[in-house]
Amino acid sequence: MSELTTIVENTLETRFPEVVVRDERKGYEGFIIQAEKLVEVVTKLRDDFGYDYLSSVTGVDYLPEGKMEVVYHLYKSTGGSALVLKAQTPREVASVPSLVPVYPGAELQEREAWDLYGIHFEGHPDLRRILMWEGFHGHPMRKDWQEAYYEEDSKPYKSRWPDGEVWRSEDKNTFHKNVDYPAGFDPETWVPDGDASLYAGLGRVVKPGNGGGLGTEQVVVNMGPQHPSTHGVFRMVVTLDGETITALKPVMGYLHRNHEKIGERNTFLQNMPFTDRLDYLSSMSNNFGYALAVEKLMGVKPPERAEYLRVIMAEFTRISNHIWAIGFLLNDLGAYFTPMLYAVEERELILDIFEAVSGSRMMCNYFRFGGVARDLPEGVYEKIRKLVYDRLPRKIDELDLYLTNNEILRSRGEGVGILTPDQAIAYSASGPLLRASGVPYDIRRADPYSIYERFDFDVAVRYHGDIYDRYMIRLDEVRQSLRILQQAVRDMPEGPIQEGKPQYQVRVPPGEAYGRVEGPKGELGYYVISNGKPNPWRYHVRAPSFVNLTPLEIMCVGNKVADSVAILGSIDIVLGETDR
Amino acid sequence: MGDPITLIGKWLENLLYSWGLMPGVVSLIMAVIGVVVIASAVLVLDILLVWVERKVVARFQDRLGPNRVGPFGIIQPIADVIKLLIKEDILPIGADKIVYNLAPIMALGTVLLLWAVLPLSSTVYGTNLNVGVLYIVALGAISTLGIIMAGWASNNKYALLGAFRTVAQMVSYEVPLVIALLVPVILARSMGLTDIVEAQSIWFVFIAPIPALIVLITSIAELGRAPFDLIEAESEIVAGFHIEYTGMKFGLFYAGELLHALTVGGIIATLFLGGWRGPGAETYPILGIFYFFIKALFLYWVIMWIKYSLPRIRIDHMLNFNWKFLTPLSLVILIVMAIVDKIVPKTSMLVYSLVMLFVNVVVGWLTLQLLRRNAKSARMRVAEPKPVARPEPSPTAATSQTSSSSS
Amino acid sequence: MTPLQIIFLITSVGILGSALMVVTTRNLVHAALWLVVSLFGVAVLYVMLSAAFLAVAQVVIYIGAIAILMIFAIMLTRRVAKDSGPQTNPNWTWAVVVAAALFGGLTWLLSSWNGFSTPIPELSSRADPLSQLGQALVSPNAYVLPFEVASVLLLSALIGAIMVAWDRRSG
Repeated sequence: MSELTTIVENTLETRFPEVVVRDERKGYEGFIIQAEKLVEVVTKLRDDFGYDYLSSVTGVDYLPEGKMEVVYHLYKSTGGSALVLKAQTPREVASVPSLVPVYPGAELQEREAWDLYGIHFEGHPDLRRILMWEGFHGHPMRKDWQEAYYEEDSKPYKSRWPDGEVWRSEDKNTFHKNVDYPAGFDPETWVPDGDASLYAGLGRVVKPGNGGGLGTEQVVVNMGPQHPSTHGVFRMVVTLDGETITALKPVMGYLHRNHEKIGERNTFLQNMPFTDRLDYLSSMSNNFGYALAVEKLMGVKPPERAEYLRVIMAEFTRISNHIWAIGFLLNDLGAYFTPMLYAVEERELILDIFEAVSGSRMMCNYFRFGGVARDLPEGVYEKIRKLVYDRLPRKIDELDLYLTNNEILRSRGEGVGILTPDQAIAYSASGPLLRASGVPYDIRRADPYSIYERFDFDVAVRYHGDIYDRYMIRLDEVRQSLRILQQAVRDMPEGPIQEGKPQYQVRVPPGEAYGRVEGPKGELGYYVISNGKPNPWRYHVRAPSFVNLTPLEIMCVGNKVADSVAILGSIDIVLGETDR
Repeated sequence: MGDPITLIGKWLENLLYSWGLMPGVVSLIMAVIGVVVIASAVLVLDILLVWVERKVVARFQDRLGPNRVGPFGIIQPIADVIKLLIKEDILPIGADKIVYNLAPIMALGTVLLLWAVLPLSSTVYGTNLNVGVLYIVALGAISTLGIIMAGWASNNKYALLGAFRTVAQMVSYEVPLVIALLVPVILARSMGLTDIVEAQSIWFVFIAPIPALIVLITSIAELGRAPFDLIEAESEIVAGFHIEYTGMKFGLFYAGELLHALTVGGIIATLFLGGWRGPGAETYPILGIFYFFIKALFLYWVIMWIKYSLPRIRIDHMLNFNWKFLTPLSLVILIVMAIVDKIVPKTSMLVYSLVMLFVNVVVGWLTLQLLRRNAKSARMRVAEPKPVARPEPSPTAATSQTSSSSS
Repeated sequence: MTPLQIIFLITSVGILGSALMVVTTRNLVHAALWLVVSLFGVAVLYVMLSAAFLAVAQVVIYIGAIAILMIFAIMLTRRVAKDSGPQTNPNWTWAVVVAAALFGGLTWLLSSWNGFSTPIPELSSRADPLSQLGQALVSPNAYVLPFEVASVLLLSALIGAIMVAWDRRSG
């Protein structure tokens, strides 16, 4: 708890007596706010205290206490640590006021909390299910919700090999017996109607036409879920007036696997490889955030060499992710694979390093609580040196030379898909999306973690908030990452790579922790609650790919349909993380 | 000896006469044989083009390309064709069966018809139509029709969108194309392609570089290739008009596109690069075929080069570029060159050409100056640079941050 | 019968048949496509008359411009592409009478014309009908006036179209 937040906290409690109460539970931080006064308090916090950035909204189900809790993480866009607010509500009729009027960025996250926890957000403009389908029965993240083939609450399952024999749940629970339908639901006669409410939400604007009285008709086009440039099974429902977008709704969840529920079944360490599967292009970053959150709870700090290795891997991940993003952005703009293939070539070299240290090119599973899994094998250090001092800077300059001043790229990118700084903050945009809009907010600087304050690097900022700047900022960030890498490679000490003994089963004291890192795609946060058991009580991922989609509509409206693809590409999402 | 094709033709004709056939029937048979020979030769070439395209794009993209089937993967297109032939043929629900099936035939057929007027050498050509240039334009119109039919009949929104874009694009780009095509007509005093080639003792590309460039650009747009591939823009409307086509019907579209690219190369080579002309091509016409294909393949390579290096332009940019830039430019250059053609006597070809080239350079230079003037960035400024590029937190915040990082 | 006559007969049947299809088919896009076939047949007739320029112009203008514009317009209003109403209007009997009278009149007029029986003078191979046509269009002694009037008419139509579609708000 930092001094600044302490100041705010003291003022808060005096300004809102009875309403704001300090969270006194052991290992917890922040405040518990009366749900009815939430909007009032938060508006004050935003306007008077400068907490203008809502990072994370999530629900927690305290089944034993019969309570639901909605946890908010607020930040200042000028930097500093988090202010954690909580609103409690009874489980049966869970309802809290929606924060969308104050922070539009809460829209998708509140929908997710409604979908998974059944917490109703009063005043939410469009409270529909988001990750599950419309006909889904129940709210799966509730602790008393059990899936088909349910076995036990937590791994490792004791029942798997009762007598040394493999035992499968599905043999006992044959299909159909375990499927739970809502009352009055018959799968044979069911007609999907989920899209009706979706289309209704699109709000067709009937324009008066031009002066000559030529009315135009609007068309609803489904971009996706099977579409080559939605980067996976993602769907944009677009209302078009000619080729111009008048409304757009993102539809997601096609790849949903309830990552968080599975995460709560897993032990703490079992989640480490599981985080790889979120943003499968930058697994090292995913590991980083989760390791930070759990280390906060455990109170351990990795040794020096491990810190350096972590930074090196995280920055390599950023580079590989950004050149991938640039390559595919160009693909979305219609360059037939050529820039992409040149960019990906460099990524392969980085993946070679990952393979050498972790044994896997993409699903790295490299971080451990209090260290990393393995030290650098022989010869890899030389490879890294060559890469960061010679090859990558050269190749980045080459990409820059070929692409940056391309007339078509400029005309397609400049002034298209604009996100103003105010909008970017309000809509909780993060990462390159936020910084391309002129907000110099980089968690590595704003709220430093690991050893980032040791390195000399600049926060890359661009000021126009259009597609072109989002392309440029990725080049800038790659260059800054190379600076960090060069320093890290130069300064890396010898020494142990793991604090204490590596363990399969870690002891995590009760409490809550929010570990956030500046992932390549934006703020990647893990909200972990432990109740002292081997499994996390709550494991929430604040996924940048997911939250960054909130401002998609305001970026797209008024642009051409072809631009929506490029705008989506410039946000750079990975569906594994969006849908979780 | 330099003209085996004419020799074979003569021999065949004599053979037919010796069988006692009527002259009308003989000429009919000869025409049919000619059509069959040219069409099959071109189609065989088309199969090879699949390989060329894949290999060249692979080299552009730092890959190897097909290299498994046969030496250098040269048998690969055969394998592709077999694959396409044995694929399931799908007719989408609600599709218009006849129109749907007719469209791919039209797509490839119109391209084949273009070869009827292309002079492959001084003696080998389908027909010396005196309106050859217009004929090319007319076939462009029919190929548009094929794409519209495909887009409409597929009963698919993407296909329909692709068809809309096709109309917008092809009809617009036809305007500067036709205007620019008039320049070689003025220079050669004929619309027949054979006459135009005959007239090119100096290649027209040296006399009229700007029209040549305009024809190249607009032809790429007519082809629907990058950067004008909006009609099948993969990242936007998936595959555009041929989204629903499978198997060999898709193959026909694909083959048609590749062949069209080569054909456009051939047309531009004929109009601006001297067609079959080259050292010794007059005396040995067989050499002319060789030269013609070298030039056509070179232009085909240029078209590929452009396709695989540039992103796609947006539809409004595409139309603006056409109506606000290409069309005025082509009109200006046509008028200027027509006037110069009247003024400068054609007695000395060299002087005439130099004057024409000079005029082109002047027009080109003026255009560039105008462009430069208008190139003031129309970029919207959404945010003035904030002073906090590297956030120095407020004093209280600074202490909090350093306290957490005492190492 | 010469081969030319056979081809002529086939083409004429094609033209008339497809013209009939244009007015009888219920699907508007099909009607437009039949129209294309019919127009193309006319182009074939021009080719048989050695009027290559007219043939190509027929294809460029009627198929390349007019027919495509029609199809485009039909596609934009796709919902009404299928017509289910009656295909004749109440006055069809009068139309038949007028059409028959017109046909009869034309037949009567043409029967007294000797153009069918006089052989066509062979064009000399040196003659270039294309350049003659071009000269005639811009020659003061020939058709320059109608030509220019037509261009002015087209220009005003163009400007009119722009005015109709002008979006005054965006200027």
